[in-house]
Amino acid sequence: MGSRVDDWFVREVLVHEQALMRFLRRNWRDRDEVPDLRQEVYVRVYEAATRRLPDSPKSFLFATARNLLVDRVRHQRIVPITAVGDIEQLHVMKDELEPCRWLGGREALARLARALDRLPDRCREVVWLRRIEDLPQKEIARRLGISEKTVEKHIAKGSRMLADHFHGGSDPGVAPGKLRSARAWLGQST
Amino acid sequence: MTNVHRQIERDAALWLARRDAGGWADRQQAGLDAWLAENTAHRVAFLRLEAAWQESARLQAFAAGEVAGRIPARGEWARSPYFTGSQARAVVGRDRRTVQRKRRRWPVFAGIAASLLVTAALAGGFVWRNYTRVDHATWQTAMGARQVVRLPDGSTATLGSETDLRMAFSRGKRYLELSRGEAFFDVAHDAARPFVVHANGYRVTAVGTRFDVRRDAGQLRVVVTRGLVRLQSAHDPAKPPAMLPAGSIATVAGDDVAISRVTLDEAREALSWRSGFVVFHRTPLAEAVREFNRYNPRQIVIADPSLDALRVGGNFRLDNSDAFVRLMQAVFPVQAQQRGREIVLTRKSQAHTAH
Repeated sequence: MGSRVDDWFVREVLVHEQALMRFLRRNWRDRDEVPDLRQEVYVRVYEAATRRLPDSPKSFLFATARNLLVDRVRHQRIVPITAVGDIEQLHVMKDELEPCRWLGGREALARLARALDRLPDRCREVVWLRRIEDLPQKEIARRLGISEKTVEKHIAKGSRMLADHFHGGSDPGVAPGKLRSARAWLGQST
Repeated sequence: MTNVHRQIERDAALWLARRDAGGWADRQQAGLDAWLAENTAHRVAFLRLEAAWQESARLQAFAAGEVAGRIPARGEWARSPYFTGSQARAVVGRDRRTVQRKRRRWPVFAGIAASLLVTAALAGGFVWRNYTRVDHATWQTAMGARQVVRLPDGSTATLGSETDLRMAFSRGKRYLELSRGEAFFDVAHDAARPFVVHANGYRVTAVGTRFDVRRDAGQLRVVVTRGLVRLQSAHDPAKPPAMLPAGSIATVAGDDVAISRVTLDEAREALSWRSGFVVFHRTPLAEAVREFNRYNPRQIVIADPSLDALRVGGNFRLDNSDAFVRLMQAVFPVQAQQRGREIVLTRKSQAHTAH
């Protein structure tokens, strides 16, 4: 029973998660904070959409991400005042604007398959039996000789990992050097 | 601060897993609703997990006719013909022993490969009639009817309104021809005998699957709810086939094939006719009316083309077009008149809508 905004959010926003993650990783030094930033962006986008659905969801998503980073920078006072002008130039790279719909048939399936393969053994087994073979959790517990509570835990964990791999795609390639200066991550390198 | 969203995601995952466990009562749903309403961060976290979780059922495409309970090892996907596609034949030719070994370890994919080969061979010039036919049958349904038919191989076909289906099952092949109407197939797995439905100059080949084929004037629609289906032009074997995994809706008009990927729930919704219902989501009125007209002798006619584009939503009984028409009159500037066996929809006059 998804509301209008819920559907919009899944179809028009979540599909860009991979690009969004690239953008955030490229522009934020602390990788550990990136998933939180992402969720924060989603919250802002969703709340704006309840007032009015943006015409161009992707541009709106990236504008929101950029604003969030700017806010964080200002808030944390990481950057000297002189650098603030540069923040406005936090730009979105072309590859981040290319369409990357996850509903693209073969590619989507391949991505799902890879996502499934990254789950730990037991978790992968449980998810397979539940999603592919459509067995009820109760039956899975019986078959694997584990408690229903444990099955539930595997499902919970599996759903989180699947979401990361599926929406966000593969892991980041190059880790950003800790020594990169504020100016560098603010887009000066281009 | 950093852990806030992580904790929320954990909670969202627990909600999802608990709901997934079944036996979900209204009280629990109310609890979930309250949690979601509490904070947008809760809602977006849940939607994100739920979307991926629902999508994961698409992997059933690989499990088409799978031996139940056998979980493939990591990376075995890559060997599925779904990914290797037409190269399956080349692989078989190059290294027989590898294939033999694979066959044992990976019976399903080998089965799919075999059926792909058979289809390829057929496209290459085999003729149907040369097979020794074993079973013949023909079914016809009247307008508004729905009929479930058991096929000799254990598959079932659910026939919709005004449908003609002809069957010819041979030792090597299960052949069906849909010359009119709509049919939903739940296919018994038999890798040695491909299950093929001919319709509108297209060949729809199933691999242990559930799918729906529907003919409209000049149009063909295929909906896949489980497994994998191969859609290929019957006239032009050179045209590359389209592979349709569960959650695909293919629409064919002439040479044009449009494929949309939807969630499995949406795909199933497109098949609600099997239980006598039709579901609309922002469906143009003209299209909604066509659905009812498929099932009811009393035809609805839209006399004013400006009404065509009105969007209709909801869940309706297919055999109750009266209720549909009543609702249209209640929510839209629409007026219905009975003329003979037709219900004619016109736009309400201005004076009428004013108050």
